[in-house]
Amino acid sequence: MLKLLAGIYAIWLREVKRAIRDRGQLIGGVSRPLMWVLIMGIGLNPYFRGEVFGEVRFAVPYTYIQFIFPAIIVLNIMYTSVQSAVSVIWDREFGFLREVLVSPMPRWAALLGKILGGTTIAVFHGALVLILARFADVTFTWQQLLHGLGLMTLLAFGLTSFGVVIANRIRSFEGFGVFSNAVILPLYFTSSSVFPLDPALTRAQTLVVYPEWLVTLVEWNPITYAVDSLRGAFIQFHQFDPALGPLVLGVMAVGFFIWALVEFRKA
Amino acid sequence: MTEPTTLAIDVQGLSKRYGRTLAIENLTLAVPENTLFALLGPNGAGKTTLIHILTTILEGDGGKALVGGIDIKRNPVAARRNIGVVFQDPSLDDRLTAFENLDFHGLVYGVSGADRRAGIDELLALVELEQWRNAPVRTYSSGMKRRLEIARALLHRPRILFLDEPTVGLDAQSRARIWSYLAELRRRRPLTIIVTTHYIEEVEGCDLVSIIDHGKIIAEGTPEDLKRQHGHQSVRVMPADAAAAEAITAAYPAARKSSDGSIVIEVPDDTFAPAFLARFGTAVQQIAFEKPSLESVFLAMTGRELRDRAAEAARSTGGRRRT
Repeated sequence: MLKLLAGIYAIWLREVKRAIRDRGQLIGGVSRPLMWVLIMGIGLNPYFRGEVFGEVRFAVPYTYIQFIFPAIIVLNIMYTSVQSAVSVIWDREFGFLREVLVSPMPRWAALLGKILGGTTIAVFHGALVLILARFADVTFTWQQLLHGLGLMTLLAFGLTSFGVVIANRIRSFEGFGVFSNAVILPLYFTSSSVFPLDPALTRAQTLVVYPEWLVTLVEWNPITYAVDSLRGAFIQFHQFDPALGPLVLGVMAVGFFIWALVEFRKA
Repeated sequence: MTEPTTLAIDVQGLSKRYGRTLAIENLTLAVPENTLFALLGPNGAGKTTLIHILTTILEGDGGKALVGGIDIKRNPVAARRNIGVVFQDPSLDDRLTAFENLDFHGLVYGVSGADRRAGIDELLALVELEQWRNAPVRTYSSGMKRRLEIARALLHRPRILFLDEPTVGLDAQSRARIWSYLAELRRRRPLTIIVTTHYIEEVEGCDLVSIIDHGKIIAEGTPEDLKRQHGHQSVRVMPADAAAAEAITAAYPAARKSSDGSIVIEVPDDTFAPAFLARFGTAVQQIAFEKPSLESVFLAMTGRELRDRAAEAARSTGGRRRT
């Protein structure tokens, strides 16, 4: 058992070391939230409150920067998680995978170490966003921070597993880059990250503001609930049932890990 | 060699099929413990496939294989503890240092902290890479990488070491070094070494050799046995002119012409040399007696030269090796 933990630790450590030595990834992790907070956030801030659309009046009691702040954490985690799964392709391409495959470590443990490594890096990149909290006028207690980090870890774990599934199917670096971009941005934009679905409104009232296809996409997108749960943690604002967020994140983490394991066993 | 009591490798009736091609065909192989065993054959003969099956990377289709006494099909994880593997293609993480690669290996194989430190020091010294300990593997030459891989494969003190073409693509000096490390290792501890190669000269120093071609073992024994049984002494003569060449080939119809114009004649018995010299002594520029070599054994068994085929096979199957 102890040996198994040592093995998982070794794989985790390797992932983390590689990420630290890859400067490009870190630069992306810093510049992305800066752009979103400083440009999108500050730029759209004045237009966010008090808008009147016919009968409907928005009642989101936050500034735009505060509103998108938790979503930026999610965006950073999405990019980093999925990107860290590239190492699966790298390992296959450059032979390192074999070193793991001939070792006495069970496949599930090897995969767990890898995904935990990716999760750690992604949570770290998510936490980088928190440094900007005071510029976004977001304040939270230690307890809220821990709550938030827990949710971030669940999200990162699920997304890294998802990344491994993609990496196992798309075996080239180029294909993976194209695919991950094609998946991350649509998921992000349809997660009610940059525009609110006012919880005070009924569905019929919401449909006055937004077309039905968009509302449906938002409701079906699991990332919506990740964003919602982080809003709950950091700005105490929920657009959906607060229990839904952790539930969706938990199901994603377990489901994607099992899927990744099935894929990895075939490798 | 002393009486072998246990077998390091015991393979019976093993087969492996890739689609319609049969890579390994009903192969049987027994390697006693603590031997240096060479699997000799051209590229594409099934060497790598066999190594991949024995190291549990691939699963065989039929038959039974025991590695270190453990059935690899039933208990692959336990079998992996006993073996160290150096694959044909490098499998190091080149963003990590030598120490980090070795430490990773030790952790994954459950080697304790003290044993890891001691083992890493010992093995880096063995392969003469101590001063490169903290350099990223990216900066290594291919010979150094291969040496580091050998060190890594030994860190968990396996009983059986597999080396798939460990010297391919290396210069003569690096190749000689790798063989000297292996010899030194065997002096230090009991170890079975299974090595594949298509370099004939490397096989001469091995305890046992099996020649593999088209997925089948076609000959096995010590290098001396093989030469005695299948090799023939031959004489290579360089005719003085075309007329002489014609006369010689007419007199010895079994002779083979080489591309450089020389003629190779198998020596059937002791009366050959005096008879040949008496008749053609003045018609040849040069005459050389060639001792039986494993090259000639391979030639006798398959009717082909190992090297030519190696090059040809490398061209036709070059893209297929990765799993």
